[in-house]
Amino acid sequence: MGRGWQVRVIRLAALPTVASASLLTGGCASHDFSIRSLPAETPAAYNAAAIKEFQAMQALGARPASAATQATVGPPLTPADVPSMQTYDPWERMNRFTYRFNARFDEAILRPAADQYRRLPNPVRTGIHNFFSNLSEIVSVVNYCAQLRPAPGVRGLGRFVINSTLGIGGLLDVATQLHIPGAPTGFGATLARWGMHPGPYFVMPILGPSTLRDGFGFLADFGTDYAINPVNLYRGTAGWVLTPLDGVDVRANISFRYYSTGSPFEYDTVRFLYVRRALIEDDALRMWHRSGKGAAQTPAGQ
Amino acid sequence: MRIIGSLAALLTLTHLLAAHAGAEPATGLADSAALRATVYGTPPQDIAPLPAVVPLDEIDIALPWARPLPAVLWFDRRLRVWFSAQSKPAPLAIVISGTGDDGNTAKLALLRATLYGAGYHVLTLPSPTNPGFIAAASSTGVAGDLMQDSHDLYAAAHEIIAHLPARVRITDVDVLGYSLGGAQAAVLKSIDSVEHRLRIHRAVMINPPVSLFAAMNRLDELFAISVGPGEEGIDLLYRRLYVRLGNFYRANDQVRIEDTNLLAAAGAVLRTDADFSAAIALTFRIELTNMFYAGDLYAGTGVVTDPRRPPRPGDSTDEVVRRLLVKPFSEYFDQVFVPYYLAHRSGSTRTSLIAESRLDIIADALRTNPDYYAQTNADDLILDRAELDWLRSTLNGRIAVYDHGGHLGNLGDRQQIADMLDMLAGRWAEAGR
Repeated sequence: MGRGWQVRVIRLAALPTVASASLLTGGCASHDFSIRSLPAETPAAYNAAAIKEFQAMQALGARPASAATQATVGPPLTPADVPSMQTYDPWERMNRFTYRFNARFDEAILRPAADQYRRLPNPVRTGIHNFFSNLSEIVSVVNYCAQLRPAPGVRGLGRFVINSTLGIGGLLDVATQLHIPGAPTGFGATLARWGMHPGPYFVMPILGPSTLRDGFGFLADFGTDYAINPVNLYRGTAGWVLTPLDGVDVRANISFRYYSTGSPFEYDTVRFLYVRRALIEDDALRMWHRSGKGAAQTPAGQ
Repeated sequence: MRIIGSLAALLTLTHLLAAHAGAEPATGLADSAALRATVYGTPPQDIAPLPAVVPLDEIDIALPWARPLPAVLWFDRRLRVWFSAQSKPAPLAIVISGTGDDGNTAKLALLRATLYGAGYHVLTLPSPTNPGFIAAASSTGVAGDLMQDSHDLYAAAHEIIAHLPARVRITDVDVLGYSLGGAQAAVLKSIDSVEHRLRIHRAVMINPPVSLFAAMNRLDELFAISVGPGEEGIDLLYRRLYVRLGNFYRANDQVRIEDTNLLAAAGAVLRTDADFSAAIALTFRIELTNMFYAGDLYAGTGVVTDPRRPPRPGDSTDEVVRRLLVKPFSEYFDQVFVPYYLAHRSGSTRTSLIAESRLDIIADALRTNPDYYAQTNADDLILDRAELDWLRSTLNGRIAVYDHGGHLGNLGDRQQIADMLDMLAGRWAEAGR
């Protein structure tokens, strides 16, 4: 990885520096009134999608109910197995500080950028999104190897080859249309697969809620991505454009908004939900490997 | 950042459980269909026709009468509202959110879309019980008084409209709201009939409470029945739901929690009437913790925050949340609300404050002015029989009562929207119902 990797981190760090400067010079200035145009809503299309999803769900209707009663993989969870409602958060003061910074950064830089990005025509955005997803396929393949799961690894490799060629450098997700859906994974999941616990709650700068393990996993994936990047995309001057664009694309696909409910307990709520989600996913992953199914197939629904 | 994506998915799940429950339901043993409708809302295929594109502006405004901002609410300095402008002169619809909700909920987005499609400029406002409103627009900091909160709302709406760009030309003003916001919409109109600053023409209440105090107490009761008392009750509920969600993911080999699985997950987690009741009661309780905390902070009552040592943004709130989650509305009422108003409104008593939380305070206007309308459901959880009868007789036919839907479970369906638009346009009576 060496120096180049550091350069990429510095590139990402360029963002918060710009952000801090703008926060100091204007982001916090006290305007008494501001009106800001958001990307237009598209209620008809939104509801049409909801109908489709609803119908798909109803088609599956019988399944969740029966699945809930049928034998789970291994013994079912019981109330005694449930982790405490309290979250292990020894770095709470620092985490809260980072969370506040993230909220300000998001409001001042990331979300406005994502709003502008969302004004681009849909096919353009989908193309950009596919392009970055395709690049991240390599990280998934590496991690599937590290998890000793050849089947999804091979699928991931197949997706990468198909989308990079037939999909014109990854702009089109041809593989999904050929019924080879993506199943992204990362180093955090690899560590979980080999039994590492999530560790303390950890709010990453800009990126948000994580745990120590998954934060480390993210950095590792970031490095891997850079180190074996096949077309040298992130190394040249293009990297200064592509890294932030990747970030903006990811942000534009997330509907979360900091402090949108105005609640004084948002930090607590987010931490609670994030950690419960991580624990439930870990549990399912562990059970699934224990059952021996892990090596054979890709998880359903992905 | 994939991480945040999954997080957003989970937040969507809680929203699915929460946003749909939305407000202040429940008379103990409501029927199953009403509970399910309340939680799930209108199925997408029953939604009224929606326009393809709705423009949207976000407005942030600082209001001069706001109380000094506590450090822990730093993000709530300005009131945030949403506005959709028509390009030509048009009537303005002001829409008010339900208990605890902000000014851009899924329900508001649905109303905004249908109203915009029908040719209105649309301004959506948070509930005066939302912490963002309490901090930025409340003159008291203590939410829950129907008249006082509506006065703050009225002043805020006036200030916002005065700041709208000149290209927005307004021909008429109507006001509507859902749940608690419905009651406030009607009160807003009655305030306007004295102050004449907004020139509100018609008001439509969607699933309003008749008595705020009674509706809130029903929720406490529902919480007591479905969740149980104290921290043990909450812990048991948490374990029950966690086990179901965990087993759902074990059984379905779904090692990542994503948007697409959420409806199925919700179906796996909520099964019995008790589960649905608990979801509704807990949602409301979570809204209440925000309002309780803000009220306690502003009034300096010292129930969970020490007035001599104001909390700082870096402080842990674990303990505060734990304590607030087991506190019912009645404790907020008796420990924060009543002491504050006894001190600030001369001649008040606990009994008079309860009476003032009823729509009766504008009964004469509701009875005699033909521009007030309401829509509700026969199985709405926040009304009892007597209250529904009171609405019917007071509004004298200017009310649509649907057989099913629970609390807001039919918001946005074709009939509800068609009737709402008829009411707003003054066509309701002509329709010969």
